[in-house]
Amino acid sequence: MLEFFQQYGGSLIVGLIVLAIVVLIIVQRIRERRSGKSSCGCNCAECDACRQAKKKRG
Amino acid sequence: MEIKIALAGNPNCGKTTLFNLLTGSNQFVGNWPGVTVEKKEGRLKSDKNVIITDLPGIYSLSPYTPEEVVARNYLIDERPDAILNIIDGTNLERNLYLTTQLAELGIPMICAVNMIDVVRKNGDTINTEQLSKRLGCAVCEISALKGTGIKETADLAVKTAQSGEKMIPQHSFCGCVEHALAHIEEAFLHDLPAEQQRWYAVKIFERDGKVLEKLNIPEDTLSHIENDIADCEKEMDDDAESIITNERYIYIAELIKECFKKKKKGGLTISDKIDRIITNRFLALPIFAVVMIIVYYISWTSVGTLLTDWTNDGLFGDGWHLFGNGSAQYEQAQDNFAAENIFTDEVKATVEQAVDADVIGAAEILDAIDGGAFADFDEAYGSYGEELAACGYDISGIVDPAVETMNDTIDPADYGVWVPGIPVLVETGLDNINCVEWLKRLIVDGIIGGVGAVLGFVPQMLVLFIFLAFLEACGYMARVAFVMDRIFRRFGLSGKSFIPMLIGSGCGVPGVMASRTIENERDRRMTIMTTTFIPCGAKMPIIALIAAALFHGAWWLAPSAYFIGVAAIIVSGIMLKKTKMFAGDPAPFVMELPAYHLPTFGNVMRSMWERGSSFIKKAGTIILLSSIFIWAGSSFGWTDGVFGFSTEMELANSILGKIGSAICWIFAPLGFGEPTAAVATIMGLVAKEEVVGVFGVLDFVAMTSLAGYSFLVFNLLCAPCFAAIGAIRREMNSAKWTWFAIGYQCCFAYAVSLMIYQFGLLFTGNVNVLGLIFALAVFAFIVYMLARPYRENVKLSKKKTLKV
Repeated sequence: MLEFFQQYGGSLIVGLIVLAIVVLIIVQRIRERRSGKSSCGCNCAECDACRQAKKKRG
Repeated sequence: MEIKIALAGNPNCGKTTLFNLLTGSNQFVGNWPGVTVEKKEGRLKSDKNVIITDLPGIYSLSPYTPEEVVARNYLIDERPDAILNIIDGTNLERNLYLTTQLAELGIPMICAVNMIDVVRKNGDTINTEQLSKRLGCAVCEISALKGTGIKETADLAVKTAQSGEKMIPQHSFCGCVEHALAHIEEAFLHDLPAEQQRWYAVKIFERDGKVLEKLNIPEDTLSHIENDIADCEKEMDDDAESIITNERYIYIAELIKECFKKKKKGGLTISDKIDRIITNRFLALPIFAVVMIIVYYISWTSVGTLLTDWTNDGLFGDGWHLFGNGSAQYEQAQDNFAAENIFTDEVKATVEQAVDADVIGAAEILDAIDGGAFADFDEAYGSYGEELAACGYDISGIVDPAVETMNDTIDPADYGVWVPGIPVLVETGLDNINCVEWLKRLIVDGIIGGVGAVLGFVPQMLVLFIFLAFLEACGYMARVAFVMDRIFRRFGLSGKSFIPMLIGSGCGVPGVMASRTIENERDRRMTIMTTTFIPCGAKMPIIALIAAALFHGAWWLAPSAYFIGVAAIIVSGIMLKKTKMFAGDPAPFVMELPAYHLPTFGNVMRSMWERGSSFIKKAGTIILLSSIFIWAGSSFGWTDGVFGFSTEMELANSILGKIGSAICWIFAPLGFGEPTAAVATIMGLVAKEEVVGVFGVLDFVAMTSLAGYSFLVFNLLCAPCFAAIGAIRREMNSAKWTWFAIGYQCCFAYAVSLMIYQFGLLFTGNVNVLGLIFALAVFAFIVYMLARPYRENVKLSKKKTLKV
């Protein structure tokens, strides 16, 4: 076991960091989508159409 | 307790600038009407209990366009605690018209005379004390641009809202109108709160359709009221709406006489004199073309290129010499080594044979060899080396080992302070922790390769955004809209269609949303369909990549892409206008040209950052995910019929390669029927930058300059990214229309690219007869559509009230 961690410990940590970044981005994207924000970066969350769409989605 | 304050005023009077100052927001500010098409909310910086609402600009409370409806509905239905009425001090008379209407709403109000610095500069004076007395509310002087008087105004607005003191309009109409209004209030409005009765009475008198519908007045009461209105109209010999308008202007004329002193009466201002040239019937378009060419030239070939080269080759490449010290000596050492060991007679002879056989990229490699610069050779060989080998002119047997030896013997660190690039640093770090190969390749080739390829173009984009922000802020872009209106109108199009196009040069989403300023539904749909033709910020890296890889960084490529976008909008507009779906009168376009002024450094930088930051944010999120997806797709595949994973997977055997091969035939007539280019085009739907990201992960494909230009044009004009498609769906409010828009954009892009490639082949001598016939057929169809007569007369008609 110790040998495994000595050999792959670095890879595991880096892999987990990459995974965490990916999960964070996906969670953020889902949150932004739910709040009506657009992926373009412009502040669409506050427009009526987005709000109505959000209401419809519940 | 929360306090709601609404910012109301005419279009382009500085509401959003003031909103940004009050709330610390970074909302997009433009000096043409229609920048704000939705109300926006933010909290007052100094008091988080105060909610500031930025409303779209309106000329009156008799709305015609959707954004005017948004503003009016908010004021009437949600009734904020106070209205902060922004008055453009340089257009006092017109701005006071809305003020008289706002006063009638009975909501506590204060007025802020904006652009007071310009008023003073012009030598004019506004007696705000007297104005306050006559309007019946507090009036302050501000300059939103310079940031003067803002705090005092905010404090006063909060105080007014807290006091709850209802606004009582100080103006009155002539006797018979007042008699009719009193009758209306008595007959139907007595149940409403006293402060609201006046506004509703005036609207009933004007026979405002929406108000009448909302109030649902019984038939007999309505006919009773109608008698009063008709009597008044008879007495005044005018229609009700005009009577009210005239009465308001009589009152405003009195106010102006008392409160405003103009220094110069008549005569031309500096702006007028400049406009004589800038908006001249014959000079306007050439000036616009020259301005855009200069902007793109500077952004793409001078400052922008220097920074982009450093970002691509240094920061996201092997590294760079600190302050450039040692670079020249290092390059010279490389050139010397290459002259002896790489540019051998054998290599040169093989490449010359490839040139004779018309192998793609062979001429570029030969040019680099003749030039003697290893850096140029390395770039050309990187792009076209595989293509040469595939055609039987393999030079890798000599070049690759020689380059390896050169890298081992010539160390850049020996020639100055060498700073390694991010990929090198990360790779070294991963090697040190004994990271497994696949993870290392995922991070270095996938994530850093893909994201770095996109971020590499940030400097060029930021320089371009600075110029565009400057042109917008100084007032030039507003003139361009005016000039384009004149041209659009000739073809029966609405000049308003140009505003979304201006906004769309930053991002297609707000561009599509800006189409709301167009009241004609057919024109609006047509504008939504064509706005994304203009190259948005995300398409800039594609242009830069093609320019750098296939056109030796030619300065004209970027402006040509911009003008192709403009031409696509005009041609599409003319063609669509001649179909049954879009035929009709062009919508009237009223636009006020702001005075020219030198924008502040802060405003230009903020505008640049607004556009640039969203691009960088996207690179760190969507592009990063897409790059991982692309890398995984190119690493998983079939080797000898067995599905598996390998970091050395041949693209043709990978999942991505298979998908690309399955669809690449579609693009073959356009010149880029190649799996990587096909995948890049499809991935462009996720985000347009991802087209470059794909090439960052998978290496750029060998293609001729002509095919490259065709690829560029297709990606500029075809369906936009998912975010923009979402905006189109929301604005169209119809799945059918959304699909129609996407279908039209893709077909149009395909047609234009087909013509470019097939007609271009005529000049290279490699004519494809079948392709040429199709291209000619498409060309003939477009010419027919442009030349056929309009289905309906193109003339202005009376305004139509929109149903929203």
